[in-house]
Amino acid sequence: MRAPYLELHTGAGRGYPVFNVVERDASVDVLKRYTDWFKVRTASGVEGWVSAHDMEQTVLADGTAFHYDVGDLNAFTSHRFEAGAFFYGDYGGASAVSLYGAVFANPNLSAELSVGEFLGRASDGTTLDLGLAHIFYPQARLAPFVMLGTGAVRIEPKATLVQPSDRTEQTAYVGGGLRYYLTRRFFLRGEYKEHIIFTNRNQNQQVDEWKFGFAFFF
Amino acid sequence: MEIRLRILLLTLLLGLSGSLSGCATLRHLFGHDTPPPPGAEAGASTDRTTEDDSTPPRVIQPEVERRKVKVPRIKSQDIEVGGYLGTLNVEDFGAHRVFGVQVAYHVTEDFFLQAEAGRSKAGRTSFETLSDISLLTDNERWFKYYDMSVGYNFLPGEVFIGRNHAMTSSFYILAGVGATDFGGDSKFTGNFGAGLKVLPTDWLAVHVAVEDRVFNSDLLGVNKLASNLEAHMGLTFFF
Repeated sequence: MRAPYLELHTGAGRGYPVFNVVERDASVDVLKRYTDWFKVRTASGVEGWVSAHDMEQTVLADGTAFHYDVGDLNAFTSHRFEAGAFFYGDYGGASAVSLYGAVFANPNLSAELSVGEFLGRASDGTTLDLGLAHIFYPQARLAPFVMLGTGAVRIEPKATLVQPSDRTEQTAYVGGGLRYYLTRRFFLRGEYKEHIIFTNRNQNQQVDEWKFGFAFFF
Repeated sequence: MEIRLRILLLTLLLGLSGSLSGCATLRHLFGHDTPPPPGAEAGASTDRTTEDDSTPPRVIQPEVERRKVKVPRIKSQDIEVGGYLGTLNVEDFGAHRVFGVQVAYHVTEDFFLQAEAGRSKAGRTSFETLSDISLLTDNERWFKYYDMSVGYNFLPGEVFIGRNHAMTSSFYILAGVGATDFGGDSKFTGNFGAGLKVLPTDWLAVHVAVEDRVFNSDLLGVNKLASNLEAHMGLTFFF
């Protein structure tokens, strides 16, 4: 402990009361972490929660500062994994929900996998997309990106229509979007994808998809 | 004679104290520990530097190894997994038992992302009961849903059991989207609700929550917004 004192809260949140303090030069054991809070045990065996901000003022046994990354714009620029959920989606006029995950090769390039379900008046279905995304200006708070990939779609027409059989088709897509860094590990993501569904009929089908959602990186 | 002896002893004592004034404890005892004026200190240090310049390099290099501290990975508990049991009121089809599973990822102390999936078996409408006509098959009466929500913790507090036990608690609100499979059709569904979470230990939470699942239904001939209220109790574990 290097700060005058370290406050121990009863729970992992700023609203929980402080019930104990650790004085300067005393040491604590870090037991675990929950979001931006650390559970610590004092020399006298008292266990409580300390915020990451307060923990930054402690030092390790070798004198170096304790550091925990809560996420910032630098981490938004360069990270290994991210995941998110699209709470607004429109897939060719049908309402859609989807999730995605991405692995980054470098700050600009990532491989993405997304799964979704769309629910329309004429048909329902599920989608799976696998592709690459390239981010321009990853260091900017508002960063545009483009996407290219392939996937599959399973279309289940509603029973009342002429062609009732379910079908699974291969798809390809191009798209683009924007990422906007909010705070900590959070960002917003909105995107547009143009899907080409390779059908066995004379013409391929084109579907526009718009999505908007929350994402976080780690 | 006696006075002479006393003078002798006192002189001896004074002499001793004078010769021992170099000793730290005695200096302290006799109030000799006042710090020297800053000028004197500076002078001393300059003397030392000049002395260092003239002296040859030290033969013995200090071999002080820095203590290496290996920081173990701190276990994180941001993921919450559990199940729940409650009652779901399927509009027009009565209230029945519902059970489901939930997974949450806590991004900050305030916000979390949560996914839920549950099912319930709806009953018969009043029309079906009175006319003895079945609108849905047995299989179509399964009300199956999933949702993805964003939640927000607020009103943190403590609940008390008796005199000696306090448990942390928090209210939360959540809203999201998902899909419901009912009556042979899948519907885009919006959900919103609120709950209370009590943590008996750091890794266990007891939830009491109420949620509404809303979708456009044309099951009974007219298109309407079907509101399906659900109240459940759940148990979750933090990983």
